[in-house]
Amino acid sequence: MTTVYFFLAVMFAHGNFADYRDGKELPVTSYKLKYNGEGYLFANPSICTKLLDEFADSASNFTKCSIKHARPIRLCEKCIDHYVKFRESYKNLLQTNLNGTSCETIFISHDRLEVVLNYHDNILAIWNKGNCNDCFNWTKDKPEISNKTYHFYQIFNETMQCIEDNINPKENSTKVCENCMQSYIQLNNYYESLSFDRIGLDIICMDVIDSMNATRSIWSKSLNCCKLRKSPEIIFLCCSGIIACLPVLYYIMVKYCGPIKDLPNILKQSRFKQRILRTVNGIN
Amino acid sequence: MSNNTHLSDTDEIISETTSETAQLVANEEPSSSNYTELNKPDHEDSDENELQGSHGVRRRNIVQKIEPGSLNVLSAKYESLDYDTCENHLLLDEERKRGYPFIVWKDILRWFIILLIGIITALIAFFIDICIEEFSNIKYKALKKSVDKYVLQDKLYIPYLLWVLSNICIVFIGSMLVAYVEPVAAGSGIPQVKCYLNGVKVPRVVRIKTLIVKAVGVITAVVGGLAGGKEGPMIHSGSVVAAGISQGKSTTFNKDFKIFQYFREDHEKRDFVSAGAAAGVSAAFGAPIGGVLFSLEEGTSFWNQALTWRTFFGTVVSTFTLNCALSAYHGHPGELSYPGLLNLGKMEPFPFQFYELPVFMLFGVVGGLLGALWNFLNYKLAVFRIRYICAPWLRVVEACLVAAASATCGFLMMFLLDDCRPLGEDPTNVPLQLYCEDGEYNALAAIWFQTPEASVRSFLHDPMGSYKPWSILMFVVCYFLLSTWTFGLAVSSGLFIPNLLTGAAWGRLLAISIQYMLPSKTINPAKYALVGAAAQLGGVVRMTISLTVIIIETTGQISNALPIIITLVVAKWIGDFFNEGIYDIYIQLAGVPLLPWEPPPLAHNVYASEVMSHPVFTLRTVENVGHIVEILKLVSYNGFPVVDPPLADDSEVTTYKRLRGLILRSQLIVLLQNKIYNENANTTWSNFQVDMDMFRKEYPRFPSIDELEILDWEKSCMIDLRPFMNPSPYTLPHRASLPRLFRLFRALGLRHLPIVNDVNEVVGIVTRKDIARYRVWRHRGHMGMEELVLSSEI
Repeated sequence: MTTVYFFLAVMFAHGNFADYRDGKELPVTSYKLKYNGEGYLFANPSICTKLLDEFADSASNFTKCSIKHARPIRLCEKCIDHYVKFRESYKNLLQTNLNGTSCETIFISHDRLEVVLNYHDNILAIWNKGNCNDCFNWTKDKPEISNKTYHFYQIFNETMQCIEDNINPKENSTKVCENCMQSYIQLNNYYESLSFDRIGLDIICMDVIDSMNATRSIWSKSLNCCKLRKSPEIIFLCCSGIIACLPVLYYIMVKYCGPIKDLPNILKQSRFKQRILRTVNGIN
Repeated sequence: MSNNTHLSDTDEIISETTSETAQLVANEEPSSSNYTELNKPDHEDSDENELQGSHGVRRRNIVQKIEPGSLNVLSAKYESLDYDTCENHLLLDEERKRGYPFIVWKDILRWFIILLIGIITALIAFFIDICIEEFSNIKYKALKKSVDKYVLQDKLYIPYLLWVLSNICIVFIGSMLVAYVEPVAAGSGIPQVKCYLNGVKVPRVVRIKTLIVKAVGVITAVVGGLAGGKEGPMIHSGSVVAAGISQGKSTTFNKDFKIFQYFREDHEKRDFVSAGAAAGVSAAFGAPIGGVLFSLEEGTSFWNQALTWRTFFGTVVSTFTLNCALSAYHGHPGELSYPGLLNLGKMEPFPFQFYELPVFMLFGVVGGLLGALWNFLNYKLAVFRIRYICAPWLRVVEACLVAAASATCGFLMMFLLDDCRPLGEDPTNVPLQLYCEDGEYNALAAIWFQTPEASVRSFLHDPMGSYKPWSILMFVVCYFLLSTWTFGLAVSSGLFIPNLLTGAAWGRLLAISIQYMLPSKTINPAKYALVGAAAQLGGVVRMTISLTVIIIETTGQISNALPIIITLVVAKWIGDFFNEGIYDIYIQLAGVPLLPWEPPPLAHNVYASEVMSHPVFTLRTVENVGHIVEILKLVSYNGFPVVDPPLADDSEVTTYKRLRGLILRSQLIVLLQNKIYNENANTTWSNFQVDMDMFRKEYPRFPSIDELEILDWEKSCMIDLRPFMNPSPYTLPHRASLPRLFRLFRALGLRHLPIVNDVNEVVGIVTRKDIARYRVWRHRGHMGMEELVLSSEI
């Protein structure tokens, strides 16, 4: 029995005990360690365990939802409820106090794995990377779809409806292009007005960006409504041709018409040797 | 004793049986017996016709005219700077009066001046930076709006002509300034600074006017869309700032602040200028250590530990002042090291394996070849410009045409190559749709519609698929030619950024092709783009130490040092095989007598008696004013040995006189200007008001002799030169060898070196040009020494 206690002490010292708690590949000796406190001398307060369960559920709900709505991206819109719940449960976990010790101190900052914190940060990172908060107006932690998002989706739905109504796989798409041009341009302009850089990278939420990208792709690639842009531009080519020829003309002109500078003369150097030679010459 | 071993290529054999220096013994008429073989009575100027120098030196077939663009000529116009302290009585007096507290005070002031240099250089760099950024932004935003509008109306020529016109207008301003106001501000300014630090006085190079033209010029050049960068001009600006502040006065504005008088000499000024150049580098690239090393590698011939430490202080001050100002401008005031200001953007450390080292070498080879080609093309252009494009208005027209051609090149590339990328994946400043689908932008327009510096960042940092190989290839060809065409125009712009851009582009192209060959590996395009950029720039400028450090510092990654060093070394070797670095080409074209680091090898048999200029104009210790004026008007020399009066006044016999000291033209002029002479040579000479400040007041622009009014009666006065001359100039005996002369000259920064015979009589004088005319060349596997000719007309 003393050996067992000794072993326990060692395990505590290393803080590794939880790794052996359950699972099938337990070392032979460790089933002897089954112990009512789940590895701790005192069980975690039940309220904290409950909060942890809630957090786990909300996190898994959000993860599931976000994966389901990855393409086309509707993550912000569809998973907002899960996100709110997830945030709340995490806040509860942090703030609940029990006899002076919060649940936070029980679950966070104990080991290098930091499971709770990491999952929380990951989910937050996904949410923030998609700028999802921008789709909503936040009043006292209650999200509400913002006006601009709402307005965007109105025009978006109109446009898609229009395209759907007019499309005819047998004909070419000129009819669709003509009919829906109005609403498409309206959508495009509205989208560009939403952000400062007119691309939408800075603030617009990912749902909107993705919807816009999809529409643009349908419009210009599937329907090929952008070919109006191609045009011969004869005048431009002529202009550039003329301007490109100017330097050549210029160089030819300066070469053959300009005044030619006299070549520089060499300066006579006064050296000892030359002087001697000159003297000698004089004598001869 | 015999020198007969040198057989000449021609049929002539020049025999010199005895050492020619033997005839230099005092007051002897040179015996002619050894030289009679050379004389051909039927020839008028037989001494001019020797094809072979006496020491196997390949001498040019002497012609009266110089081929245009010859690199084998020294210009007689360049003077040396005076680095040697003249230890005359006045200096001794001053030292006695001031004592040690003055030395301490001077040291403290040196640090203070360096601090000022760092701050002001950084502020100028900040001004240039912001102007370029803001004006470019305005220009490209307006152009984008115009393109967006007219592309739908089939009127693309409108934005195109707008672009051409805006380029021409902006470049016109800068070009007019450079061509008419201050021609020395053209180009990057690094060759000029290099010459100055080497000890050559380049006229007008460190004036405030030059600084203003340079700053405005570089802004107009970059905003005007030329393939130029702002780095070289910033280095030049730093030098001007240093030269200006340390003197405490401006001759241009005729304003003397009466401070720092004791720094008004070439020696002190040169130290400050080297610190200023370093501060300029550090402000241009955000590379303090690179700045110090640049100063060491490219510039300063004279270096010491205290100066290094002060220079380093200056560069760090400069970097952090710039960072401080820029971060305040970008909305983060108070952050001294706001990230994101690294010029080339922060690089991730890239891992590399042993087997990649040959790949880096290959990059170095490509860079060296392209760099040599770049230099060759630019040299040919420079020669053409020297020969045919001399009038300032022609140079302005040329600059405007290049500006128009740059715009044409860019627009044609965007128009013809449809390289479309989806918006939002890569960072783009001004995404231009042109003929792309909605939600896409033209990748080439993104490169052309921004400053070249931003384009370098794009090529270094954009992900692998950002550009199609075909469009990169076109871009490389275009930009390579444009940048070599641009350098040497009458605008002030440098070549660092254009070459980095070209190199980054072909580096990325090679990365793409490597990826194509090895589909299983993931190739990091940033790594190869950076190595390519380094290789191209190294191939053009042939700098090694400072370039490595600058690139490491601008990308913030020390672990990339090995690939960059390998690449740069290979690029330099390959490039040197074909021609010189671009700065050296320009220095040689200008005929500047630059002294290299080392004396020519195998030159121990060239003696001082051959190097020196022979008939020396000397002055007597107590000299007649009329004679001084006459000599000063007659010759252009700047130093005159002061000698004892001769024993016999016989002008027929060449006699040498005993050396007493050396006096400079500038000193003589000041003496004449202040009329420090006496009617009678024998009266005891009392100079109560004469001190060093009299000489410092005129520095650095002494009046010419023609500006002085010397009355006729004054010409018979006598002047005692002894208190003013340098009583102990460095001298060498006539049997000293060229390497010995060279080392003394270069290490001490001498300007005049009297050559004496065995009894200390002046037989000749060696100046910078006498030594610099022995130049070593080594190209295409051959090496040799050639003797340059002098000309006063380049």
